[in-house]
Amino acid sequence: MKDVLFSVLSSLTNKGAEYGEIRVEKTNKTLITTRDGLVEAVTSAKEMGAGIRVLVNGAWGFSVSSSLKKEDLKRAAESAFKMARASSRNIKEPVRLAEVKAVEDKVGSLAKKDPTQVEISEKLSNLLEIDRLSFAYDPRIKSVTIRYADISTNEIIATTEGTYIEQKKDYVWNYCWVTGVGNGIMASARDELGTHGYELFDIETPEKISNRVSKRVIQQLEAKTPKGGRFPAVIGTDIVGVLAHEALGHLCEADLTLAGSIIMGKLGQKIASDVVTIYDDALMEEGFGYIKYDDEGVPGRKTILIEKGVLMGLMHNRETAAKMGAEPTGNARAQDFRVPPIIRMRNTCFERGDYSFEELLEGIKFGYYLEAFRGGQANLDGTFTVGVQSAFEIVNGELGEPVRNLGISGNTLETLAKVDACGKDFGLECGRCGKGQSAFVSSGGPHLRVKEITIGGY
Amino acid sequence: MSSIYLDLCKKAVEEAMKLGASEAEALVLGERSVGTEVERGQIKSCSDIADVGIAVRVILNGRIGFAFTNVLTEESAKEMANRALKAAKSSPKDKNWRSLPSPKAYPVVQETYDKRIEELTSDTTVELSQRAIEATFGIGPNVLPAFGGTQIYVLELACANSHGVEVYDKGTGIATYMAAMARSETQVSPMCYEFLAKRKYEIDPEWVGREAGSLAVKSTNVGPAEPGKFRVLLDPFALQSILTYTFVEAIKGDNVYRGKSAYKNKVGEKVASEILSIYDDGTLPGGLYSAKADLEGVPCQRTPIIERGVLSGFIYDNYWARLVGKESTGNAGRGGGGLGLPKYGTVPSINPTNIVVEPGDASEEELISEVKDGYYIREVQGAHQSNPETGEFSVALAPAFRIKEGRITHAVKGVMMAGNAYEMLKKIILMGKEARQVGNFVAPKVVVEGMTIIAK
Repeated sequence: MKDVLFSVLSSLTNKGAEYGEIRVEKTNKTLITTRDGLVEAVTSAKEMGAGIRVLVNGAWGFSVSSSLKKEDLKRAAESAFKMARASSRNIKEPVRLAEVKAVEDKVGSLAKKDPTQVEISEKLSNLLEIDRLSFAYDPRIKSVTIRYADISTNEIIATTEGTYIEQKKDYVWNYCWVTGVGNGIMASARDELGTHGYELFDIETPEKISNRVSKRVIQQLEAKTPKGGRFPAVIGTDIVGVLAHEALGHLCEADLTLAGSIIMGKLGQKIASDVVTIYDDALMEEGFGYIKYDDEGVPGRKTILIEKGVLMGLMHNRETAAKMGAEPTGNARAQDFRVPPIIRMRNTCFERGDYSFEELLEGIKFGYYLEAFRGGQANLDGTFTVGVQSAFEIVNGELGEPVRNLGISGNTLETLAKVDACGKDFGLECGRCGKGQSAFVSSGGPHLRVKEITIGGY
Repeated sequence: MSSIYLDLCKKAVEEAMKLGASEAEALVLGERSVGTEVERGQIKSCSDIADVGIAVRVILNGRIGFAFTNVLTEESAKEMANRALKAAKSSPKDKNWRSLPSPKAYPVVQETYDKRIEELTSDTTVELSQRAIEATFGIGPNVLPAFGGTQIYVLELACANSHGVEVYDKGTGIATYMAAMARSETQVSPMCYEFLAKRKYEIDPEWVGREAGSLAVKSTNVGPAEPGKFRVLLDPFALQSILTYTFVEAIKGDNVYRGKSAYKNKVGEKVASEILSIYDDGTLPGGLYSAKADLEGVPCQRTPIIERGVLSGFIYDNYWARLVGKESTGNAGRGGGGLGLPKYGTVPSINPTNIVVEPGDASEEELISEVKDGYYIREVQGAHQSNPETGEFSVALAPAFRIKEGRITHAVKGVMMAGNAYEMLKKIILMGKEARQVGNFVAPKVVVEGMTIIAK
């Protein structure tokens, strides 16, 4: 394969390409969905192909081949070259790439249990056990949907600069959506997990998963609705993760920063309270967003975004790094060979502080404890919303009654300025991020306290 | 390619039956697209992407197995038949399984294919994108065409099953889109998005660029927002976002069957304002989701959902329709699930085609003056966090504008709207006369009363 790829790449160089890269992937997937104890369809998939990206006269071209034969790769490379030339016609500011060292490496999987070696029947029995235990948890549980996927990929990245990296990546992912009915209302809760091997179900047993998610459903059925308005709040680790990822993270993806996100021009400035430190780390092995190398072949590393309230850095690919005079951070990721890499997060977290949970609650006369999220979204102007699936009132420094279905919203910078304490605990949530392409990521941090946040009541 | 793809489907079905399957189906879906992407005011890249895959569904005495690949050879088609059968063998029996679809006559669907689009190259996508960029810059010095582009695509579908279903369809499309941002001395606008998407080669990139740019400029003129109950004018963008995560879930036959729909047992009841009629139409001429057949080979059709406020029916794919003793409404889609699977990479599930909200007769001025004192909401954020079962939603509004004394006065920031989507449909008091397609929805602007606005 190596000879074939370098021969195709050298034909691009000979034509005058400034840069070329081929990503070859061979992937096996198993996907299972169960609904209320029924297995929807066990899916087995085989995919393979190559994505070829070429830089000519400062503009990009991209093409795909689903065949790995030399002549087909050559044809796709020529098409990518043509695409690049077409897009370079009106270029005002040519794309340049930050210098990186060529790398040759072979990276093994982090999997302790190879998911491709586990029988479908074992996978099914774990899922059906989560289903059974969730229904058994409480008669008010009415519906349980479970989605499972394992994805095993052999990936090769080769570039005209001599980089040649082989990586084996395994992802095991499990998602539950449980609905209950009671007190004349319906309520749902979600649970999402991801690891790099089938050991997922040793750590997170079907019992643990079903208890956690069912408890949240029942809690909502017995909960009251929130008051709308601005209140102090203690924020749970998985919502802290959403804030790190959605509210701040996307603004610090250099492509979105350059597009005019609210933090543009604020590097080196204080944009958050002193207790706020936020980073995006490629190398946390327990994170679903772990990558040794990104899809441009750049080594993954830890990128500090905010340190003690000061905006320290952004997440870059080679292109934005060159444009902003920064080092590439290894944030270029592609969903698969069908698409070119773009700037994506990996494992995005708030740094720990030294408060205990009780200390965070202290002094709040009336506020909310926001425990777990339903979903989040943000705009480049810094407005964000987070849907909360599990919350409690805080009354006189202590947890009070549960509250259901509330949403929070705010402006990232205003909210980060109002964080006044960080817990000493730490939680990491696995998930998927959509930015036109899907990527596996993690986010997390400790419990946080904010002086004030907007609670949207229904 | 029609015969090649359909032949491959038939070979996979044959192989599965030969191996002992009770029923088998194969689907080939192909998409070829040429696109140009705009970033920060200039064209940045072009791409030429072809992705074709074959998916095989096999039933073995009520056990279902599924396999797919993007390798399109006879050998791999057969391998998928094998893999699907193996998956079926390890699965428990699905007691709800009835049968794959039976053959039926296909409709003639207008304006879904334009030969001219098939012949376009990156020269055209570059030119259209450049014209959109210039139109956005033309709006003013502080406006940036941040993201945008043009894409042309050709879609092919072939499907065959062991009951004799055989269908091939080809469609085309072209879209130009632009997301613009504007800055004033004190304000940054949100991303302001506009697009045109057509099945025929009819596109006005200048309109797209201008509209995105001027929306961004208007969004920097920020003024006060008051909280309370207000009439709001919902743009098709906002309406589409709110209804996609609530109403669309409620009209899916599987959710109705499983007790997850607010519309369960409500057929024949009044569920919405009398001026509201909604139908799903996979045969809508020029509709972005129109086709001859759905993704399991069932003919597309027009299905009434709400007629003058009264709930008339739901949408089904073959599996759920047969389970409840109905006919499929041609609403089998594939893909989705957020794992980045290709469209051919999942078994069918119920999906809307074009959801047509029948327009009324109010002009733009009449709509705004009917609101009198309220808000015009172009887009909402956070609708995907809505609760589909209860209809509860809480969304941030951006871009959104204040309406006072019957005219739009200024943009608002940091404002939320909370409510219940099913209640909202009962409170629609006026429908615009011009409809446009955003996502699955083909809808006009609508005036809704008594919506809760949360502002600082």
